[in-house]
Amino acid sequence: MASTNETATLRKFPFQRDWPLSQPPEMAEVRKIEPISKVQLWDGSTAWLATRYADIKQLLNDRALSSDTLRPGFPQSSETAASFRKGQRVFARMDPPQHDVHRLMLTADFMIRRVRGYRPYLDAMIDEVFDGMEKSGGPVDLVQSLALPVPSRVITKLLDLPPEDSDFFLDRVQKAMSLDSTPEESQQAGTDTLAYFARVIEERWDSDADDLISRLVRGRVRTGELTPEELQHMLHLILVGGFDTTANMIALGTLLFLENPDQIKKLRENPDLVPAAVEELLRYLSVAHHVAYRQAAEDTSIGGFDIRAGEGVIAPIMAANHDPEAFPDPEKFDITRDARGHLAFGYGVHQCLGQPLARVELQAVFAKIFDRFPNLRLVEKVENLEFHNSIIYGVESVLVDW
Amino acid sequence: MANKTIEVLHERCMGAGNCVEVAPDFFDQDPMDGTVILLHPQVAPGDEAVVEKAANVCPVAAIILHSAAS
Repeated sequence: MASTNETATLRKFPFQRDWPLSQPPEMAEVRKIEPISKVQLWDGSTAWLATRYADIKQLLNDRALSSDTLRPGFPQSSETAASFRKGQRVFARMDPPQHDVHRLMLTADFMIRRVRGYRPYLDAMIDEVFDGMEKSGGPVDLVQSLALPVPSRVITKLLDLPPEDSDFFLDRVQKAMSLDSTPEESQQAGTDTLAYFARVIEERWDSDADDLISRLVRGRVRTGELTPEELQHMLHLILVGGFDTTANMIALGTLLFLENPDQIKKLRENPDLVPAAVEELLRYLSVAHHVAYRQAAEDTSIGGFDIRAGEGVIAPIMAANHDPEAFPDPEKFDITRDARGHLAFGYGVHQCLGQPLARVELQAVFAKIFDRFPNLRLVEKVENLEFHNSIIYGVESVLVDW
Repeated sequence: MANKTIEVLHERCMGAGNCVEVAPDFFDQDPMDGTVILLHPQVAPGDEAVVEKAANVCPVAAIILHSAAS
């Protein structure tokens, strides 16, 4: 436990950005002068902060560190995040071995080979979305017209839900995760979504259909491996994990390209660069900027510092992905670099389950957008846009014209 | 030069599938639970870089590349 004097001199975390698309300057500074340090959080508690790629990778794969937010003293990025997570009973917040049992029930559905089968559906759906943009005529809000519809349609397809329900999900996911929501609003949004899934599970109780929910009800819930409540939370996790994250990657990714027209030119000249460009977008933007919070369940160490059981640990993905030791000239957005070792999906047992799906969605969008809209441009300057500081980093709206 | 060999620690695997994306000639995923299937344990010298990359992106360090017994 830090003494009062010690706490008074600690840096406050999270750090503030001075340019909406870059890492906070303080992160780069701290990495240079004190790569492993203690910081103070919003509620006055303290936690270890790592800022180097190698240290963050090691911490995220350290089994002495727990992800269970129900543990007393677990570090939280904000009051809303704390409230949102209080209601969560999902494997993202469990430790092995329980985590592994739950997660492995889903891995086959997110396998690369399986997920690549979505590409024809995605290509057709994205064409439809672009047709809609063209028909309505510019300027349009990229967030509402492209970034949100793509992942919301994919999720309704994945879970075989009515496409019109995507508006409900969208509203509740945003309310649950936004730091602008009150803790009560955030919790209510989570409760609404769980109730929705409870109804779907009931409806599919006797279903012999092949969709993911019916298969889980049949193969895991009715067999007693999962309770209906656990399945509700699992579906909620799939929803939250695949929605805001991908949507913000699409919106911020387009924005980042528009700020770097030379990279658009490179991409259009060489479409084979699409997969590498998506990796670079993932690295550069690191939208999951408040997720890598842990608590030591046992004593461990990092870079010569002892971490004691009970202490909080923060291993920010953004810090790893902008470490010049791992990615030279990290603030340069360069689609020709080899960004594949980035930690945008995390690292360790909790690395994103849906990453193959996220990749195929982003590849489908960025393979087409600048050919379909070669004159795409921002209506407002980046510094005038409103960014949200949720658990996932994002932008409220981006007016574009062409 | 002797070939290196791959060992996979199956009990660690979480089925993230990064190895399949990076080195599809060496790794596949079990259609039942998505966990790793090692296709070829022997690595010719020309393939070492790609297998090292696969080991490096495995989030749970379940892929080990062994030098030939010396």
